[in-house]
Amino acid sequence: MAELLSNAAIPAVFLFITVTAFIRGVPVFDTFVEGAREGARTALNILPVMVGILAGVAMLNGSGLIDIMTGLLQKPTEAAGVPREALPLLLIRPFSGSASLGLFAEQIEKVGPDTFLGRALSTIMGSSETVLYTLAVYFGAANVKNTRHAIAASLISSYAGMLAAVFICRII
Amino acid sequence: MLNAIWVIMMFSGIVTSLLTGRTKEVSDAILASCSQAVNLTIVMLGAMCLWSGLMKVAEKAGIVDALARLLKGIFRFLFPGIPQGHPANGAIAMSLSADLLGLGNAATPLGILAMKELSGINGNSPVASNAMVMFGVINAACIQLIPSTILIIRQQAGSAHPSSIIPCVWIASLVSAITGIVSAKALERVSRVPGSKAEKALRHLV
Repeated sequence: MAELLSNAAIPAVFLFITVTAFIRGVPVFDTFVEGAREGARTALNILPVMVGILAGVAMLNGSGLIDIMTGLLQKPTEAAGVPREALPLLLIRPFSGSASLGLFAEQIEKVGPDTFLGRALSTIMGSSETVLYTLAVYFGAANVKNTRHAIAASLISSYAGMLAAVFICRII
Repeated sequence: MLNAIWVIMMFSGIVTSLLTGRTKEVSDAILASCSQAVNLTIVMLGAMCLWSGLMKVAEKAGIVDALARLLKGIFRFLFPGIPQGHPANGAIAMSLSADLLGLGNAATPLGILAMKELSGINGNSPVASNAMVMFGVINAACIQLIPSTILIIRQQAGSAHPSSIIPCVWIASLVSAITGIVSAKALERVSRVPGSKAEKALRHLV
């Protein structure tokens, strides 16, 4: 049922929008092309933002800084009830989508998907977003230089969700 | 903010690589990241055209307005300052619906469109408005009904119940979204808009 919903969603949206527009006398294809042209321009405008963000993330990953940070933060986070194995994922998740997905796929094979740890890692991944990348792309597209409290609030929200994930999996 | 973060990322990455002797890994990773960015852009280029075009059709047909009217109450609280009947309302509604349904490829283009509408209301200023920050934060909280990618990976890893984590994901996303909304609202006052009344008053005091 759930799968059907997410598979049928896109075709259903397409059908609904085009048919409604056609009935209401909108020149459907011309309007589509006009919008698509704007979309192409926007996507190309984002490329420089993307190159910058991904290069920064690549340096963090390649240099082994994440591993060092994991080692440093291990003691305090374990005292707070967060398993050591979850720490690398917690650190990398807000910054890199591909790195965190790779790490997750590797770790879940190791710990087993139905163990507490496997479920906690899955919940962390399922309930969080690549904050820095998302914000950079969205604000970059709008040519915003000063994002004010967006990054701070998003990181707070992201870590609240990820820590909640660990504790929820302990209970449920 | 991104200026500082970027420099910190570069600096800490390069210094660490010098200390750990992983300079080769870092230079490989930087070059690989450029082609990764181009790949991502090309993948997104098509989706962006498709959804921008479709949104234009939906806008002209009045569908976006109708959707926005449904969500008027919540929006007035979350995004004060958007004029009633402005296309930004509809764009936000479409983008959040795509997030909720987990339509990854559709969600990003729709989110970008909504952000550009909000920027228009803000006079295309280089400084983000409260509504823009709120929209960014809600998007970054990633509320989705079915985390399909994660379920597929769980299945491949041999899980007996891949979807058993869905309720946990919902609760965690909710915690994340509520914390995000609260902290965005709370930080609005702290993070001043340069040139705003609050800042002028403060400068006057100092």
